[in-house]
Amino acid sequence: MAATAKFSLARPVRHFFQKHFERWLARRIPNQPEHQLNSRNIMIYPTRFGLAYLGFVVLVFLLGTNYQNNIILLFSYLLASLFISVMLHSFYNFSQLRFYSVAKQQGYAEQPLYFVIKITTEKTHYDINAHFTDKALNSQVEKIELCQQGSHELRLVYRTLQRGKHWLGRVTVFSEYSLGLFKSKSILDFGHFAIIYPKAKSLIAGQYQLSGQADEPSIDSYQSTNSVGTDDFSELKSFVRGESKARTAWKQLAKGQGHYSKHYQAEQSQLQWLKLSEMPSNDVEIQLAYLSFLIGELTASNQSFGLQLSAELSNQSMNISPNSGFHHQQACLTALALYS
Amino acid sequence: MIFFKNKSKKVSADTVGGVKRQTKSKAKSNFYLSRKNAWLLWLCQCLNISVIALELSTWMLAIIALSLAWQALLLHQGREKGNSLSKNNPATGQTHRKNSRQDHQHIFRQSIGQNTRQKKQQATNVSPIVLGIFALLGCVAIVITAKQVGILASMLHLLCFSYALKGFELRSRSDFYQLQLLGLFVLAASLIFRQDLAFSLITFALLVLNLAVLLQFFSFEKAFVTNIKVVIVLLGQSAILAIVLFLVFPRLSPFWQVPLAKSAETGLSDTVKPGDIANLTRSTKLAFRADFGQQKVPNYSLLYWRAMVLEEYDGRQWSRQHKSTRNKTAVAAKNFSFDNSATEISPLSYQVIVEPSFQKYLFALAPAVVTGDAKGIQAQADHTFNNSKIISQAKSYRLTSYLTAPLTLELTKQSRQLNLSYPQGSNPRLEQLALQLQHNYVDVQARAQAVLNIINKENYSYTLQPPLLDNNSLDQFFFDTQAGFCVHYASVFTFVMRASGIPARMVTGYLGGEYNGVTNTGDNTGQLANKGHLSIYQYDAHAWSEIWVEGKGWLRVDPTSAVDPERVNSGWSTQLLQQQSELNNDLFSLYRMKNIAWLNALRLQFDALDYQWTRWVIGFTSKQQYDLFKNWFGKMVSWKLALIIAVSLVISMSMLMLFLHLLNRSKTKPQSLTKWQVIYQKAMGKLAKQGMEKPLSMTVNDFAKQVRQQCPELAIVFTRLSASYNRLCYQMLSTNEQEKLMLTMQQQYQQFVQVLKIIDKKSSRLYSYI
Repeated sequence: MAATAKFSLARPVRHFFQKHFERWLARRIPNQPEHQLNSRNIMIYPTRFGLAYLGFVVLVFLLGTNYQNNIILLFSYLLASLFISVMLHSFYNFSQLRFYSVAKQQGYAEQPLYFVIKITTEKTHYDINAHFTDKALNSQVEKIELCQQGSHELRLVYRTLQRGKHWLGRVTVFSEYSLGLFKSKSILDFGHFAIIYPKAKSLIAGQYQLSGQADEPSIDSYQSTNSVGTDDFSELKSFVRGESKARTAWKQLAKGQGHYSKHYQAEQSQLQWLKLSEMPSNDVEIQLAYLSFLIGELTASNQSFGLQLSAELSNQSMNISPNSGFHHQQACLTALALYS
Repeated sequence: MIFFKNKSKKVSADTVGGVKRQTKSKAKSNFYLSRKNAWLLWLCQCLNISVIALELSTWMLAIIALSLAWQALLLHQGREKGNSLSKNNPATGQTHRKNSRQDHQHIFRQSIGQNTRQKKQQATNVSPIVLGIFALLGCVAIVITAKQVGILASMLHLLCFSYALKGFELRSRSDFYQLQLLGLFVLAASLIFRQDLAFSLITFALLVLNLAVLLQFFSFEKAFVTNIKVVIVLLGQSAILAIVLFLVFPRLSPFWQVPLAKSAETGLSDTVKPGDIANLTRSTKLAFRADFGQQKVPNYSLLYWRAMVLEEYDGRQWSRQHKSTRNKTAVAAKNFSFDNSATEISPLSYQVIVEPSFQKYLFALAPAVVTGDAKGIQAQADHTFNNSKIISQAKSYRLTSYLTAPLTLELTKQSRQLNLSYPQGSNPRLEQLALQLQHNYVDVQARAQAVLNIINKENYSYTLQPPLLDNNSLDQFFFDTQAGFCVHYASVFTFVMRASGIPARMVTGYLGGEYNGVTNTGDNTGQLANKGHLSIYQYDAHAWSEIWVEGKGWLRVDPTSAVDPERVNSGWSTQLLQQQSELNNDLFSLYRMKNIAWLNALRLQFDALDYQWTRWVIGFTSKQQYDLFKNWFGKMVSWKLALIIAVSLVISMSMLMLFLHLLNRSKTKPQSLTKWQVIYQKAMGKLAKQGMEKPLSMTVNDFAKQVRQQCPELAIVFTRLSASYNRLCYQMLSTNEQEKLMLTMQQQYQQFVQVLKIIDKKSSRLYSYI
C-alpha cells in the first residue's frame, strides 16, 4: 500500500520536473535545422560504469591507506585523475560536431521513413550515436564508430501504422568515447515530424482506367457516364510509356507516322474528382486507403485529377483542384494524411 | 495536443510491437567483442595474473591456468566455427573476409552474419551450471586453505579466481566492465607485495595495456598501437593532477586493521649453520641501501652491517638467545641504547632504507643510536635494532654511529656464561686445539691472532660451494675439508675462542656494499661531496665473530680476512663472482653484468633511479609531507593546510583543462587568409556599409550579379574584381601569374573604392538638395 501511495506521489513530482526540464531544454537548445555542439548544449555525466569506476578508485584508495602503501595510493590518485581527464576528452571528442537535418519527412504508413542527419566534422570523432529521444518510438540506436573529417550521414528510421502528422520530438545524440566512463549527450531539436499517408489499398485494376468496357460494377459509382464513343477527341500526343493501349491512335501507327495516343476532353472532365464519399467502403480509413492508391496510380499515368474530401465543393481547405505531377500528388496525399 | 499524439504513437507502437520488441531484445544482447579485442583481453588477464602469481599457491595457479587455457580454446574454436560457416555460404564468406581484414565483427550486420555470431556465442559460452559448480568448488577450496595461507592470501585467491572465471561469461557490456575493473584491482593488489621501481613500471605498463583494451572497445577502427598511444597521452595528462594529489592529499592513518602480507622471508634467518649464508649469497636481490649524505663513506672494511647476534650454539647451529633468557637480560640492562654523550669520537650519521624482508631485524653499523623518528624501532642489548612489526614495505630510518667506540665494556655474569658455553665433546679435535692455544697464548688477543694465523697459513680456501659436512661437524671442516664460506670460519673461530675460555659470539649481517654515485673531491672547500648511496645486496651477507676483551669490550674479529682478505677489503673476488655466475646459471648474472661496461653503467643508473623512487615515493610519509609544506609555506596551521590542498587541486585541474583546451584548439586553427582574400573581404566590408551584404551561402558570381542589379554604377568594377578573385582562388596559376593578377586585382580594388566614393558624394549631394 505504502509503495503505491509513494508512487502516486512521485508521479506528479516527476511530471513537474519533466515539464520544467523540457522548458529549460527548449530555451537551451531551441528548434533549429542545424546544431553545432558546444559547451552550451552538451550535457556530460558519468555512466553507471563511471560511477562504479569511482567506487573502485575509492576502494583502491582504502587499500592503499590501510596498507600505508604509497604506490597503491599513487595508483588510485592516477586513476582518479584519469577520471577527470577522460571527462575532458569525452567532451572534446563530442564538441564541434555539426548536425543538420530536414524537419519533414513523408511516406506511407508501415513503410520505414528515414530521417537523415548530416554530420560535418573538422577532426576525427569516435563513437557517435543517435536515436529519437522519445522512448515510445522504440527507435534503434544508430552508430558511427569512426567519424573522420568531412561529412557523414546517420539515418534514423521511423515506422508507424497510423496516418497523420506525427511530431517525433528531439533526437538524442550521445557518445561514450574514451573509456565509457562518461556519456556526452545532447538532445537536439530539429523539429522532426512525419506526414504519414494512408497505406495504399488497391482497388481492382481497371477501375479507374479509361477502358470502354466498364465490367466492374463498382466503377460505375463514379464513371457512370463514361463511354468511349461520346468523348470529344481533343488532340494526339506522343505515346508515353504506361499509357493505356486503348488510347493508341492505331491509324497513325499503321501509317508509320509514329506512336501517338488520343486524348479526349471528356475523359479528363469526368475523372477530374476523386471523391471520398464515392469510395466503396463504410470505413473512412479504408476509403482513404483506396484514395491513396488511386492518387498514386493516376500520378503514375500522368493524369490530372482533383481531390474532394468534403461534400461541399466550396471548402477550399479540404478540396484540391485538379492538377497533375509530383507536387500535386504530395499535396493530395498530405490532405489524406491530415483528414480527420 | 502533444500528449495526445504521444498516446496515439504508443498505440501504434504496440501494434507494431511484435517486430520492435524483437529488435529491442536483440539490441540488449548486442554485445560482442571483436576477435582482436577478445584476444587482447585474454592476454591482459594472463599478464595481470602473472604479476601476482608469486603470491598465489600452486593449485590456484593451476586452476587459473586451466581456465585461461580453456578460454583461449573457446576463442579459437569460435573462429573456426565462423570459418566453416562462411565456407558453406559464399555470401557470408565475403562479409567474413571483409570482417577479418578489418578485424572486427561489427560488420556482421546481415542476418546471416548475425546467425554466425549467435552460433559463435553459443560456442564461447559455457553453461552457467558447470561454471557455478566450478566456482563453488573453488570457493570451498579457498575457504579450506584459508587458515593455512592467511587471510590476505585467501582473499587474493578469491580475487584472482573470480577474475579468471569472469572471462567465461562475457555476455553484456557490464560483464566486460566488471572484468576490466577486476583486472585493475588485481594490479593494485599486486602492489601490496612489491613496490620497487621495476615492478611499479611493469604495473604501469599493464595499466596502460588494460586501459587500451577498454579504449579499443570504443574505437576499434584504430590500430591497437595508436590506442596505446592515446592511453599514454591520457595518463600523461592525468599525471599532473595525480602528482599534485600525491603531494598535497593528506596521508590518512589506516581506517581498520588489515591482514598483513605474509610473504616468503628473505635475507638472513634467526639460525645459522655452516653453508647457510653461501646459499643466500647466490641471490642478487637488494637487501637495503644506506645514504651517508655529504659525509665520506667509511672504508669497505669498516662497513660491517650488524643484523643479528647469535649467542647460542648447540653443536650444529648458531641461534639467537631464547626469548625467555633475553627478557631476563632485558630487565638487567634497561638502557640498551648506546650512550653517545660519553664519547669523543666523531659521529657518522646516515639513513638506511630497508627493502621488505618480511622479518623484523634492521641494520646498523655498531655502535649506533637512532636519530630522528625512532617510532617502532627497538634497540637491543647486543647493539642490534629490531622493528616492532614485520617489514613488509620499504622502511627508512636514521642512525648515528660511532664506529670505533667500544661495545659493552661490562659483561654481565649471565652473558659471560652464555658466551662461554658450548656442547662438550661436540668437536673434540677443536677443543684440543683450543686447550693447546690457551696454554700457549695467555693474552686474549694474541690467542685470537694465533687462530687467524693458522687459517691464513694452512691451505684453507674460501668458496661458495663448500663440501657438505656430517652433522655440521666443525672438526671435519677445520681438519679435513678445509674449504668453506664465512660461517664456517666464524663458527670455528668462535668455537675455539669459547673452548679456550674467551667469551665469543657469532654476528651475522652484511659486509660492505656497492657505492653508486659520483664522488667529487677538491671543490673550493676541499671537502668531499658525495652524491650517491650504498646498495647492499643479499650476496653481501656475511658472518663474523666477536670476542670480549677486558677493558675493550666486544671486539670484532673476522676470520674471513685471514682466508680471503679481498672479500673484507674490497668485496668479492673475481673468482667468487665466477663461481656465483656458474651456480646461478642465468644470463644476466652479476659477473657478466660487471664485465660489460655499458650494461653495468645501465644497472647502476637504474639502481640510482630505484633509490630515488624508494626514497621519495615509497618513503613519502605524512611527516615528510608535513616537512615539505613547512618548507614551502612556513608554519602549518590546519586551515592553511586545507587551503593549500584546495588551491593546488583547483590550479592543477584548471591547468589540465587549459592544456586540453589549447590542444584541441590548435587542431582547428583557421588557415591564415591569403592576400586576395583580404582584399575581397575589404571590398565586402565597403559594400556592407552601402547596405549590400553577401550571405555566406551565396557564390561570388551570384553576389556580383546582385550588385549589378542593385547598384549599376558599381557593376563593371565589382564584376572585374570578383572575376580576378575567382581566378586567384580556383584556378591553378603559377606564382608569376599570381603576382600579376594580384597587382591587377589591387588596381581593380582601388578603382572600386573610387567609384564608391563618387557614389557616396552623389548621394550626400542628393541628401543636401533635399
